[in-house]
Amino acid sequence: MSESNGLNMEKSGFESTQEFFDMWLNTYKASMGKLVEMPAIGPAREKSEKMTKGFSTFVNLYAAGMDTSSNLQRVFMEAMRKVQEKTATDMDGKISPEKYKEFYNIWMETYSETFKKFMKSGHFASDMGKLNSHLIDFQKYNREMLEDNYLKPMDLPTKTEIDEINKELYSLKKTVKELTSQIKELKNKK
Amino acid sequence: MNGLNLIDDFDKFKYGMELFLKPPEFSVGTTPSEIIYTEDKMRLLHYIPTVEKPHPVPILIVYALVNRYYILDLQPDKSIIKKLLGEGFDVYVIDWGYPSGVDRYLTLDDYVNGYINNAVDKIREQSRLDKITLLGVCQGGTFSVMYAALYPEKLKNLVTLVAPVDFDTDNGILHIWAKSLDVDKIVDYYGIVPGDFLNSGFLLLDPFRLMIDKYVGMFERIECKPNDTACQVRNEDYIKNFLRMEKWIFDSPDQAGETFRQFMKDCYQKNLLIKNEMKLNGKKINLKNITMPLLNVMAEFDHLVPNDASKPLYDAVSSSDKETLVFPTGHIGIFVGSKSQKEVCPEIAAWLKPRSLLNGNGKTGSGNEKKPGSAREEKIESGNEEKTESAKEKINEQNRKNRRSRVDKK
Repeated sequence: MSESNGLNMEKSGFESTQEFFDMWLNTYKASMGKLVEMPAIGPAREKSEKMTKGFSTFVNLYAAGMDTSSNLQRVFMEAMRKVQEKTATDMDGKISPEKYKEFYNIWMETYSETFKKFMKSGHFASDMGKLNSHLIDFQKYNREMLEDNYLKPMDLPTKTEIDEINKELYSLKKTVKELTSQIKELKNKK
Repeated sequence: MNGLNLIDDFDKFKYGMELFLKPPEFSVGTTPSEIIYTEDKMRLLHYIPTVEKPHPVPILIVYALVNRYYILDLQPDKSIIKKLLGEGFDVYVIDWGYPSGVDRYLTLDDYVNGYINNAVDKIREQSRLDKITLLGVCQGGTFSVMYAALYPEKLKNLVTLVAPVDFDTDNGILHIWAKSLDVDKIVDYYGIVPGDFLNSGFLLLDPFRLMIDKYVGMFERIECKPNDTACQVRNEDYIKNFLRMEKWIFDSPDQAGETFRQFMKDCYQKNLLIKNEMKLNGKKINLKNITMPLLNVMAEFDHLVPNDASKPLYDAVSSSDKETLVFPTGHIGIFVGSKSQKEVCPEIAAWLKPRSLLNGNGKTGSGNEKKPGSAREEKIESGNEEKTESAKEKINEQNRKNRRSRVDKK
């Protein structure tokens, strides 16, 4: 898709939303963000520092989500514009209940092709990569909080502990398989 | 479609909903089989042969870790497995099962040098043959290529079906997305990578068609006048087929994290396999070690594994007997589309038959030195019964040539 068609998939758009959000993010970083990054002190410093750092994780996810969302809106707008153009030419601009199927086909074809093109762009891949990365940071933080503040004090097994056991189990099973195979080979040699 | 109005379509929708309220029973993977080997979650299935005397060299099918193997046996009239059995082959399939937390540390080495190798050994032991045919599908095809490079002495033939080996292409969306994924972060967090996470990626390939139009299309197909029994039977069959496919699409096992990590990083991100730089358990995989006959099958309109990703296998191997076939269908169509039963399976069977024979002393031979012609000549020497077999082969060969016009052959 070229600029002349109204949209370049490789460039970010929906400028006003993006500008507003950037402004919000910069203000946050200059004010609240600094407070959150302050080192904690006192007997509960470890816990409170972990908890406040989680806020940054959430803000990063929110920022990535906004970025992705504004880019998706841009593609929706572009698809909508194309649908309008096509209905004007292919359906003489007349949309009636009798012709809704024709309209549906134009809508589906246009949205599908526009989005497929966007999904194939490096821009989308990079957006999704970032969003996914921040989402995992956030989920990881939540899990740590759950483990530290609920599961451990209640003496319940945590995912981290189960993973340790799984690793040990895997290693033991592998050793058993190797030894079994060696025994079989030795038996065959005899 | 044109000329229909909203009321007509609403009636269709209403009728479709009525059908869904009493959904027909359906099943998948119904071709009879027995489990002959299990290891952890993996099961090795042996399909009951449907001919009295199957071709001597058995086929082991290795499917991907994404979704389930039964796409190859979705329903009786759309079953690659049933078709191969009908063509006289002895067929085995690896079912990877559903990995859980305990499997998160399984590596690619465990899959290739462990599960696949043990399955191959089990079949060799059961069939009393030194070599078998490996048929790898999609990611299972990539695994099979790795295996063939590491254990060429155990394979008589290698068939790859829509299998990626060269990942450095921008023609497939998955190849583009994979480069931007922080694989370490995903695996470290999830451990076992959720099937739903992977499936959401597949839905994003064409979100509007896959999440809206597919279902609209389904209701559109359902249309019967009252008391039209034949039409109602057709509808029921259609819904059964739709539900089978729907089940397969969303039956997505989770994946062992460490395997996912190495596959994504070494293959999709660094493209080490085709460069002969990939290692399993410290051992380099050299595709030049592949010397057995190779059939590389692709789908021309494959949106998941573009032809660019599969074609380079032809030049990467040392096999002197090798062939590439491209069918005008898609990644899923090659298994369940109309061409699958009529063209894909018969072509694979025709290629395999002369290469699935034993030599005079009951061995499978060294593989790469045999040409289809020479294999047939060898059989003629061994008895009258096999002469009939040879005559059949000639007919198959002729059929193959006739079909060739519809298949783009390298």
